[in-house]
Amino acid sequence: MKNDKMNSIKDFSIIDKQITELDPAEFIKLPYPYEDWVDPPMKELTDDQKNRLEHSLDGFSGIAIPKPETEEEKQELVAKFLSGLKKLLSKEDNWILLQPLLLSMENCVKCQSCSDECPVYTASGREEIYRPIFRGEILRRIINKYMKPGGKFYNKLTGSDIDLNWETVARLAELSYRCTLCRRCAQACPIGVDNGLISREIRKLMSQELGFAAEELHKSGSMKQLETGSSTGTNPTAMLDIVEFIEEDLKDLTGIDIKMPLDKEGADILLIHNFGEFLSWPENIMAFAIIFEKAGINWTMSSQMGGYDSVNYGLWYDDAQLARVALEHIRIAKELGVNRIVMGECGHAHKALMPVADRILIDENIVPRESAYPILEEIVFSGKIKFDPKKNDFPVTLHDPCNAVRAMGIVEPQRKILRYLCPQFVEMEPHGVHNYCCGGGSGFAIMQGKNFPDWRNGLSFRMKFKQILDAFQDKIDPSIYKYVCSPCSNCKGTFRDGLTYFNAFEKAGIIYGGLVELIVNAMVDIEKPFIEWELK
Amino acid sequence: MIFIYLFTYFSLFVFIALVISKIFKYSSAPVHIRWELYPVAHEPKKNKYGGSYYEEPEWWKSKNKKNHVAELWAMFEEIIFLKGVFIHNRKLWYFSFPFHLGLYLITATFFLIVLSALLDLTGVLILNSSETSFGILFNSLINVFGYSGLILTCLGCIGLIFQRVTDKKFKFYNAPMDFVNLYFILILGVVVFITLINSNSGFIASKVFVKNLMTLNFAAVNDVSFIIHIILLSLFFLYFPITRMMHLFAKYFTYHKVRWEDEPNVKGSKLEKKIREALNFGVSWAAPHIQTGKTWAEVATTHPKAEKK
Repeated sequence: MKNDKMNSIKDFSIIDKQITELDPAEFIKLPYPYEDWVDPPMKELTDDQKNRLEHSLDGFSGIAIPKPETEEEKQELVAKFLSGLKKLLSKEDNWILLQPLLLSMENCVKCQSCSDECPVYTASGREEIYRPIFRGEILRRIINKYMKPGGKFYNKLTGSDIDLNWETVARLAELSYRCTLCRRCAQACPIGVDNGLISREIRKLMSQELGFAAEELHKSGSMKQLETGSSTGTNPTAMLDIVEFIEEDLKDLTGIDIKMPLDKEGADILLIHNFGEFLSWPENIMAFAIIFEKAGINWTMSSQMGGYDSVNYGLWYDDAQLARVALEHIRIAKELGVNRIVMGECGHAHKALMPVADRILIDENIVPRESAYPILEEIVFSGKIKFDPKKNDFPVTLHDPCNAVRAMGIVEPQRKILRYLCPQFVEMEPHGVHNYCCGGGSGFAIMQGKNFPDWRNGLSFRMKFKQILDAFQDKIDPSIYKYVCSPCSNCKGTFRDGLTYFNAFEKAGIIYGGLVELIVNAMVDIEKPFIEWELK
Repeated sequence: MIFIYLFTYFSLFVFIALVISKIFKYSSAPVHIRWELYPVAHEPKKNKYGGSYYEEPEWWKSKNKKNHVAELWAMFEEIIFLKGVFIHNRKLWYFSFPFHLGLYLITATFFLIVLSALLDLTGVLILNSSETSFGILFNSLINVFGYSGLILTCLGCIGLIFQRVTDKKFKFYNAPMDFVNLYFILILGVVVFITLINSNSGFIASKVFVKNLMTLNFAAVNDVSFIIHIILLSLFFLYFPITRMMHLFAKYFTYHKVRWEDEPNVKGSKLEKKIREALNFGVSWAAPHIQTGKTWAEVATTHPKAEKK
């Protein structure tokens, strides 16, 4: 346990200074060639930001909560928090996750089996506020004291003598954005308590009642997606332009002339990508097109509002936004009359539209939805495309996106492809459903405001980086180029920033990319190497 | 003397009522979105590595069979051996395992005592019978389960208290109730053990008492230590349902209704009907983008305009 300022849970609401100052020197050590790595000092908020924004948790601002100016304003926000808490525990307002939430709030025995499963907690050198049960225990004690009958004696007996004030609310809100919602802790809980779920539900309360959410997720995320068609702000006209550019680049790069099918009515498959791929990793869009065309798949993409960006940030913070975006995806599929929706390489989009949205769909909205991974497996082993695995004869490891793997059980298809097409494929440890999060889960990958990227790159990505280094340890020489296969757009965003932070290409020859890029790189028909060895 | 019987009835009644009310609370909660975690124990074959039916192309075309034996085995490993604690928290397991195993043995003893009273009432077996091999076996089983259960529970309890007192990671989160639970169980275990040792007749008094409870025979109980142990046990039954020890029952729901709940929604199914009902619940969340006062179905199909920067 590490935190000198708190002697007990109730200090969380009493301490009038910042609760902890992170010291990268105490973070988990990295293996060769990073034994002597010294992290750059973590960026502090500017004086102006410090004056305006709440930062009393750990000095970082993930969701930029403005400081209330008056005592009345503070009290009003605390009252709103309590009213939101009541709704969080009500059948009507929270049918969506009430049963799992109640089970998690009422049954934690604080056995600490979850603690060391959390990559953020362990990588931080075991900073107490990041311990998986910490935020749940705060919320639990607030519920006991303010929402349940029992009086002072019962509160004392259950340790629920915590005071609810503005500082507690603000710190709890920020704290819910220090958990990547990877749910590794829940997997370890012998009782089945889910601290990731509790974090998600705190975020929901903050968003749906107080209007607090990370700007990148809400205002510039799901709201923008509903308004323009994509969380990137790309409207349908711009989307068409981008597709055209990608077609041209595809021809330049491979010599293959493919007209991307758009809005094709009656197609078998509607493929929806995370739009980040179009802007940051267009080679992923190209690779999908090459594979699907060569395999003779009857597929299409949509250029219509609501149909070309699979992201659904509501999954991480807001039920209303989650449902609205999911229904947009379904609407497009119905309008096109496709047989099925296929999710591209984006983990959270998989989870949002497949299992989660399954429980908000009725009647004709129940459109079949599936992952691209098994379809790719089927194509690779169908014999329709010729491969030469020697073209992928470099070290490859696989990152398992939490949402598609731990939360959906899609474990083997991507591995079967890599075992076949990548002679030097090596697993990270642990892997599969026991993987570590990339550190950018739950929206962290896109949260670029204030000083939050330093927290993500230096801390929440650290355990994953250690895993990558461990996996490649016997070939760590930077002259040997190595590939981290990450079949998830948000995870790739984390790798892009994290590997750059650690200068990993220069120091260890490590790049990252998707699964389809490796498939295309191994195709006999593709003469030039498809993978470019640079950290993009 | 009737007091001791009435108090036992009362505590058992309250215990059962509160347990039922808790189970009702969980089981009557509305349908929720899927929130499973893999491995899902009933997934045929794929459960070994945590795979799911989503690994199959066009998964909805195959019948999603469940491996109920694997599910039962997973529960057995988890409940009896505390597999999760063994893997993730070995230090705690050394005490938690004997503690829980002891409680299971005591629970088994309790049911054997009830069974013994029932058999006596039906004339199948005399309570203190040692004349038939069945009687000897039955009573030996009660003795073995009872004494070993008490010893394991008390030893585990002492270890758990020691860990809570000495280990910083527990100390920070300790609440008085955590100690009350453990001390209560420890005191109860010690008192029962002393009573049994002093009585020279083992569990005979317990069997007679249970038989009296079943037949409304409020016969005098003269052994003071036995009275104390019945009072403590009754108090424990009253106390148990307000503690986190209720995880004993909650665990069914956390595993079967959340962690392993992977039922796909199909048109015309009961599940779809439940979803339809839930979508008609009213929404009162206050943030502007929610648009309070509508049903969930209306909220989900209404797009708020993006706030201007």
